[in-house]
Amino acid sequence: MRRRTALTAVVTVTTALALAGCGQESTDDPAPGQAGGKPTVCLVMKSLANEYFQQMQTGAVTHVKERNDLTLDSSGTQNETDVDGQVALVESCITKRARAIVIAPADSKALVQVVAKAVKADIKVVNIDVKLDDGALQQAGVEVPFVGPDNRDGARQSGKVLADLLGKGGKVVILEGNPGADNATQRKNGFNDAVSEGGLTLLDSKTAHWETDEANQVFASMLTAHPDIQGVLASNDSMALGAIKVIQERKANVKVASFDNIPAVKEHLQSGVMVSTLDQYGSKQAADGIDFAMKMIGGEQVTGWQKTEIKLITKDNVGS
Amino acid sequence: MAVLEVSGLTKRYPGVTALDAVDLDVRPGEVHVLIGENGAGKSTMVRCLSGIERPDAGGMTLYGERYQPDSAADALQAGVRVVHQELALLPNLSVAENLFLHHLPHRAGVVDRSALNRMARDLLTEVGLDLSPRTPVERLGIAQMQLVEIAKALSGQCRLLIMDEPTATLTPKETGRLFEILRRLTATGVAVIYISHHLEEIFEIGDRVTVLRNGKHVTTQEVAGLTTAELVRFMVGRDLAHEYPPVRPRELGAELLRVTDLKITPAAPSLSLAVRAGEVVGVAGLVNSGRTEAMRAIFGADRSASGRVEVRGRPARLRHPRTAVRAGMSFLTEDRKAQGLVLDLSIAANMSLANLPAVSRFGLLNRAAEAASASALAEKLRVASRGVRQHVRALSGGNQQKVVLGRWLAADTDLLIVDEPTRGIDVGARYEIHQLLLDLADAGKGLLVVSSDLPELLGICDRIIVFSRGAIAGEVPRAEFDAERVLNLAYSGYLKGVAV
Amino acid sequence: MTAVTAPRAVGGRWASQVLGEAGIGVALVALVAFFLAFAPYFGTSQNVRDIMTQITINTILAVGMTFVILVGGIDLSVGSVIALCAVVAGTAMTDSGLPTALAVPFAILVSVVIGAVTGFVNGFVTERWVVPSFIVTLGMLYVARGAAQQYTGAATIYDLPPGLTRFGTATFAGLPAVFVVAMLLVAVAWFVLSRTVFGRLIYATGNNEEAVRLSGHRTSLIKVACFVIGGACVGVAAIIYMARLGVASPILGQGYELNAIAAVVIGGASLAGGRGSVVGTLLGACLLGVLSNGLNLMGVSDFQRTMVTGAVIIVAVVLDAYRRRLSVRLS
Ligand SMILES: Nc1ncnc2c1ncn2[C@@H]1O[C@H](COP(=O)(O)OP(=O)(O)OP(=O)(O)O)[C@@H](O)[C@H]1O
Ligand SMILES: [Mg+2]
Repeated sequence: MRRRTALTAVVTVTTALALAGCGQESTDDPAPGQAGGKPTVCLVMKSLANEYFQQMQTGAVTHVKERNDLTLDSSGTQNETDVDGQVALVESCITKRARAIVIAPADSKALVQVVAKAVKADIKVVNIDVKLDDGALQQAGVEVPFVGPDNRDGARQSGKVLADLLGKGGKVVILEGNPGADNATQRKNGFNDAVSEGGLTLLDSKTAHWETDEANQVFASMLTAHPDIQGVLASNDSMALGAIKVIQERKANVKVASFDNIPAVKEHLQSGVMVSTLDQYGSKQAADGIDFAMKMIGGEQVTGWQKTEIKLITKDNVGS
Repeated sequence: MAVLEVSGLTKRYPGVTALDAVDLDVRPGEVHVLIGENGAGKSTMVRCLSGIERPDAGGMTLYGERYQPDSAADALQAGVRVVHQELALLPNLSVAENLFLHHLPHRAGVVDRSALNRMARDLLTEVGLDLSPRTPVERLGIAQMQLVEIAKALSGQCRLLIMDEPTATLTPKETGRLFEILRRLTATGVAVIYISHHLEEIFEIGDRVTVLRNGKHVTTQEVAGLTTAELVRFMVGRDLAHEYPPVRPRELGAELLRVTDLKITPAAPSLSLAVRAGEVVGVAGLVNSGRTEAMRAIFGADRSASGRVEVRGRPARLRHPRTAVRAGMSFLTEDRKAQGLVLDLSIAANMSLANLPAVSRFGLLNRAAEAASASALAEKLRVASRGVRQHVRALSGGNQQKVVLGRWLAADTDLLIVDEPTRGIDVGARYEIHQLLLDLADAGKGLLVVSSDLPELLGICDRIIVFSRGAIAGEVPRAEFDAERVLNLAYSGYLKGVAV
Repeated sequence: MTAVTAPRAVGGRWASQVLGEAGIGVALVALVAFFLAFAPYFGTSQNVRDIMTQITINTILAVGMTFVILVGGIDLSVGSVIALCAVVAGTAMTDSGLPTALAVPFAILVSVVIGAVTGFVNGFVTERWVVPSFIVTLGMLYVARGAAQQYTGAATIYDLPPGLTRFGTATFAGLPAVFVVAMLLVAVAWFVLSRTVFGRLIYATGNNEEAVRLSGHRTSLIKVACFVIGGACVGVAAIIYMARLGVASPILGQGYELNAIAAVVIGGASLAGGRGSVVGTLLGACLLGVLSNGLNLMGVSDFQRTMVTGAVIIVAVVLDAYRRRLSVRLS
């Protein structure tokens, strides 16, 4: 009986897959990637649960409405590190025969393979947010333009504000993002640049996985272990918020330099506990990427790193 | 050379010495019976022999070789096969898979199902279980499970067979069959250690008998030449004048329970019965004759049943045991381990489970009151324990049975349905439990007593309802009590089936 | 042998009781001693207060989880449900226009009700269709997370009433106020589990559901109630989170369910149900909290900290299992 059930299951699944395959072929679009004459551009993002990517998507949608010469097909993964999920998203873009793909890779190396597949399928690919690994791209034999901010430079700028304030010998700690994430590495490098350029003393550097609660705990221990901390370099605003709670609770004289510029930090910039954060105009990034993608569809050659605007935010320009 | 030689076997549990330097020798081809009161140490002996417990002292030899099993697998390897007192089948697997779990027939690692089912069917036929080997074990009644356990012990090579109360839930038909198998086995030189509280069985199948009391070896004798009275004296250290307490004539009161057109499943025959206040109604029948299912249905334990149940003239719905308990019913289940005991709770907690309002106020437990009422019951039922705070898991089988029984005595409902009430209980305590049941009837309660032990029913009931093949085949009043008559009724449904 | 037997080996029984009750406490004491010796500042009153604050949320979640695990269930959705509770209750405070004195109680009510309702759904579906709670709550994990994101459009909620955030940093008799809340919850849960009929039925149901049902109790009701309690605790934890950190984000709480389950199991509970205690759970939460705090203070690197945490969890439960056997032998 059990064996028969297994057999039935196998037959059912096979049939279902076969039917699905047929269905796909029969509905195949005669003019691939053109809906109503407009080219389709796929926007593949990381987790839309992240406020940052949410803004990016909103920006892209608005921008596309303004341009009105393409159809946008945007999608995001379940979480920031869902590499498999993102590969599947790109694959479905290839299947849908999009004309171009704009992608914010969840991993700078793991996505190269499928991106190369897209390029070879004659789909224009524009890389935004985190740069795909050069070595891996070279190995795959493809070239993909990168449109995005310079995270390292941004972090250096934000950190410099703190360094200037504290002066030589100022004692600081770094709160890192997810170990292994490219933007986390870039920001950490940028902060380290600021530390060495400004002659600061780095007491500790630990990850709090981008999270408020964890940053709160990690920084509390740091401050206990080093009561003389003068500054925190937080790789994103969520972690900065967690650290600021500790600072307020202990009435410590510690300043924070951060990154992202989410609305929740505005009051802290005004109150002075946060001295700087960095806006990389996430909402514009995807829009820029789409612009470049359209140029490429139009036959233009786009290569290399097209840096997007970043802006240092301090008490002076945060507004009220 | 002896098959098994045990010398100075000692096993201590916290607060109790379960086995105290016990010697035992078992000869080839003999059925060696082990008897003793509840908690005497019989099952502990079995657990030591089967590698489940490691003795604290003493040695064992099997066919002259040192025998020191560290696990059940070791015992199996040595050809020691065991039927434990408590059932240990895997409910989600089929009967066949349970039977051959340790040595599934396979081809290159893939289970050979046709061979498995063929072998299983042969074994089942041997123990007289008419059942598809593919049936999941969870669908079986307790007697059927017991037979599967027996069949399992017979599956494969065996030098020493140990059976701990295999017949506690079986009817004479299955027991007879089991004895035939045992005789066949012993004829080939296999030795059997056999434990039972049914003393008459000892005379039928036993060659020698060893008596344990409080963990100590009392005597080992040839069965031939012994009398029941002598056995009892060895076991309990005193004489038992009567096997059953006297049944005093009782004034029957109002009708307590009336069951009309009860159907276990839509296609099943419809059942009707009634119990009056002060009446002890026996329920007899063969294994799987539908007795237990009917009781469960009356109690609302299974949803699929239909029909009318009235308690004191008021309809009680067959939806949930809760309604039954509220209406004033108690139900002692046949399978104490699966359906009765909460093994990791104390004796007191187990006894109060159906009577929590009495030991609590505003939802708060009064633990002192709970302990007091449990102590009183434990005393009455002679539960051998280190006190009512002890976990039920550490009790011997018979004492566990007393605990579940105590739960329903505590609930003090008008109507008690008891399924195999004396399962695993020793002769001494049996008498007292029978007395307790009769006292309840004297106090105006109604009792439905299901038992596979016909003499028990004949001993204490006012009338006996006989089930056969899912239907009520007839009823015998006390005045006409006769074992033959009951048995004929019990078989009647099946004979009709053959005649058609 | 009769029902009454004289107590024997009194000393052994006492030792067994200490071992049996103190449970994971032995491992905790060892860990504390270790950090006192090797982690600078570990014993300072500031740091002790930090630890208390840091274990508050996990303790509250784990207390709720204890109820669920005792009846043989599991709740994987707490990490998501806490986010849902927080964002909805947070919005209730920032957007309702109520004065703080009303907004905060209202938010607490909202949060606890949302938690309890998700708990009810978890329990009801599990019981009504007899499906594993593992899968039902896994589904709820996604549903609640999605709902939280949908509700806020992924935005972080801030500007919570200062009254609430002041409570988050307030102290009560020298102890963090939020920690006191957690301790109160532990005390109530302990009382319910060990002193009430309901608590008794919880243990009994976790142990042998059929026996309890056949004794005339509605076990489904008991089990669903445990899920509801678990959910309500999540609602409380959400409020504590906002009080402490002053923000609520739809992505908060990822992985909290595993921390809560770990605390319960380290505390000696059986995942099969029927065995465990809130005191054990509290000790389990303390162990996890002390471990992470102490390793941070020692300046152990991120990767080593992760490894050590895992290893200590394993060692702790192995010790616990060994201790339990020892206590049985001594009794
Ligand atoms: N796991 C255990 N922990 C503590 N005590 C135990 C344990 N198992 C058995 N005992 C005790 O050992 C004694 C002997 O128990 P055992 O099960 O061997 O009795 P038995 O002769 O099989 O009785 P019964 O006829 O009731 O089955 C009892 O007093 C019992 O309480
Ligand atoms: Mg026994």
